Amino acid sequence: MSNNSKQEKENTMHTIKVSHVAKSFGETQAVADVSFAVEHGEIFGLLGPNGAGKTTTIRMILDIFEPDRGTVSILDGPMTEAKKERIGYMPEERGLYQDVPLERCLLYLASLKGLPPVQARKRLGEYLERFDLAAHKGKKVKELSKGMQQKAQIINTILHQPELVIIDEPFAALDPVNTLLVKDLMRELRDQGTTILMSTHQMHQVEELCDRIVLIDEGRNVLYGELDGIRRQYAGHAVLVRAVGDLPPLAGVESITHHNHDTKLTLAKGTTPQEVLGALMSQNVTLEKFEIAVPTLDEIFIRVVEGGVS
Amino acid sequence: MIKLWLVAWHEYRQHVLKRSFLFALLSVPLLIAVLALVAKVPSLLDSMNTRYTAVGYVDHAGVLAGNVPVSTGSSEQTVQLIAFSTEEAATAALEAEEIEAYYVLGADYHQTRQVELVYIDEPGGDAVRQFREFLRVNLLADQPVEIAQRALEGSHHTVRSPDGRREFSGSLTLGQLLPALTGLALVALIFFSSGYLMQAVVEEKSNRTMEILVTSISSNQLVGGKVLGIIAVSVTQFLGWIVFAILAAIVGGQFLGVEWLQDLGVDPQAVLMMIALVVPAYVMAAALMTAIGAAFTEEQVGQQIVALFISFYMIPLGLIIPLMRTPNSSLAVGLSLFPLTAPVILPLRTLFTPVPLWQTAAAVAIQSLLALGRVDRSTHLPSGHAALRQATAVAGAARYGKTTIPGAAAPCRPSDGHAGG
Repeated sequence: MSNNSKQEKENTMHTIKVSHVAKSFGETQAVADVSFAVEHGEIFGLLGPNGAGKTTTIRMILDIFEPDRGTVSILDGPMTEAKKERIGYMPEERGLYQDVPLERCLLYLASLKGLPPVQARKRLGEYLERFDLAAHKGKKVKELSKGMQQKAQIINTILHQPELVIIDEPFAALDPVNTLLVKDLMRELRDQGTTILMSTHQMHQVEELCDRIVLIDEGRNVLYGELDGIRRQYAGHAVLVRAVGDLPPLAGVESITHHNHDTKLTLAKGTTPQEVLGALMSQNVTLEKFEIAVPTLDEIFIRVVEGGVS
Repeated sequence: MIKLWLVAWHEYRQHVLKRSFLFALLSVPLLIAVLALVAKVPSLLDSMNTRYTAVGYVDHAGVLAGNVPVSTGSSEQTVQLIAFSTEEAATAALEAEEIEAYYVLGADYHQTRQVELVYIDEPGGDAVRQFREFLRVNLLADQPVEIAQRALEGSHHTVRSPDGRREFSGSLTLGQLLPALTGLALVALIFFSSGYLMQAVVEEKSNRTMEILVTSISSNQLVGGKVLGIIAVSVTQFLGWIVFAILAAIVGGQFLGVEWLQDLGVDPQAVLMMIALVVPAYVMAAALMTAIGAAFTEEQVGQQIVALFISFYMIPLGLIIPLMRTPNSSLAVGLSLFPLTAPVILPLRTLFTPVPLWQTAAAVAIQSLLALGRVDRSTHLPSGHAALRQATAVAGAARYGKTTIPGAAAPCRPSDGHAGG
């Protein structure tokens, strides 16, 4: 099998395939070497600190920028005009015409995505109701609150029922109720087979929604893979325990720290969690919780970015 | 292709529904009306300040015995002319301020043709003019009506160009002025629409709507649609001005009796020349302004460049005196072929000289070629080097705290913790 046909076969397995892309602006290297693939029907997290190169990477995926180096495959090949109708993109903020009434703005942008007017009007009515924006459809976009504008942007991104949604900071400016609404919508879209590439700083949302992630820093991949695998990879040699009453002294435990209502037991080398559990059971300690201490994505993020771990 | 028209229609609706459009539509006719009013003010003040009582006359020659009245123009106030049998009686009336002045035609008037005017304060121009008319009418009283009428009209001059294509009789008419007025209207149109054109992609550039648009349609469709939409806005504006001009001509010519507005005879050849010249000139200007708007991140810089271009269109107006004296000079011919001055100078020259056909044809050809080339360059945006890509790059660079001319856009890592990867 030739290299080209092998590459083509790989591309058809992924909705997005980014291979060693790089982009510079003048002397500044925005993206140095980023590679990842987004599979069909998954929610994929594109993470990274400010200025890591996330937006530039998204722009290269969408063919807004041409990479200096590397290749991008989207929906089984390079970007074409026809593919644009199959993609929904939501930039981080202010992606709508500010001086245009909301309904007219969304219908216009939907028409550019090839959605017939009657269908667009019908779907828009449904989404406006669902997002509690129906009463504001005649207002200019700039007259809406930030949260409302964010919801309007989300509607604009999905109104034409794209196969691929690329969404930058979807939860920005949203209150908990609307955050839940958007999360439900994203899960719903995934269940319907839509592929979602999500860029965000809100790690707990990533933990709840994403199947896989890539973390980039200074324009390079630093973490990439399944979320559970990454968390296990960064799990320390420790367990979290919540017991009724005080814990007795335990052999093989190096240190004890308290985390909210839990106690974190850092184990000595050679001690297994099973041995600690056995010791607790043998001393008739009533346990409410016993689990392997897996770091949160927030913790991993900070460790990776601040520690420069690759 | 449909998306191009969707963009054009959106752009058109956006501008036409704005208050600023209505202002631009009404401002030029209003400005002209105000200027006309201001021009009329001195004569209005003059007529308001002039007291028209009466003017007397003493006719020893018997010329005015018939007392044939003068028919005056509607705008001119009639002066009462009172006959006195003696100079003493006229002087008494003058001193009693019953008359403003009096004329004396001596017994030898037929030989001398001398008339004496007696006054305390010099009478107004209308009084003098009307007495002169009165005298002429009465001198011609014994002539057949046609001869009297023709003699009163005075001499008629008709000036023809050697090739017989152009002819002037008396003062200029609106029809003859039309090409020059169209050239000026083009400058006004470019001036007013430059704002729209400059801002064609400014809003999209200033936020991230541009990214949504370029991930929905091609840059050709986006820029092409926007230019088409704005041209449609300008055409609407232009047609609006034409409607106002026609209304003004009807009101001024038919109801107010303004002489030069009464002859609307338009030379079809001149109209054809104007269309052939003005349409590509405007399309070229539109594409140029849009490209400037897309290329510069900072609106002020763009506006300065636009102002520079507009000043080229104004050059012929500054040169109107030398143009009038030597309308076929090398400078005039050169400016007639230069794309940014041709649409104004060519119609101006037609007021003073027949412009050789080759010059008009050459100007139209140059204008059309440049317009096509300019539109093509504005809408055809090759990958990686497109103005819109550059504009987006600049918008992106601006988010990193740096704004610069496309091509030099270089984002740097933010130090202020601003989001953006």
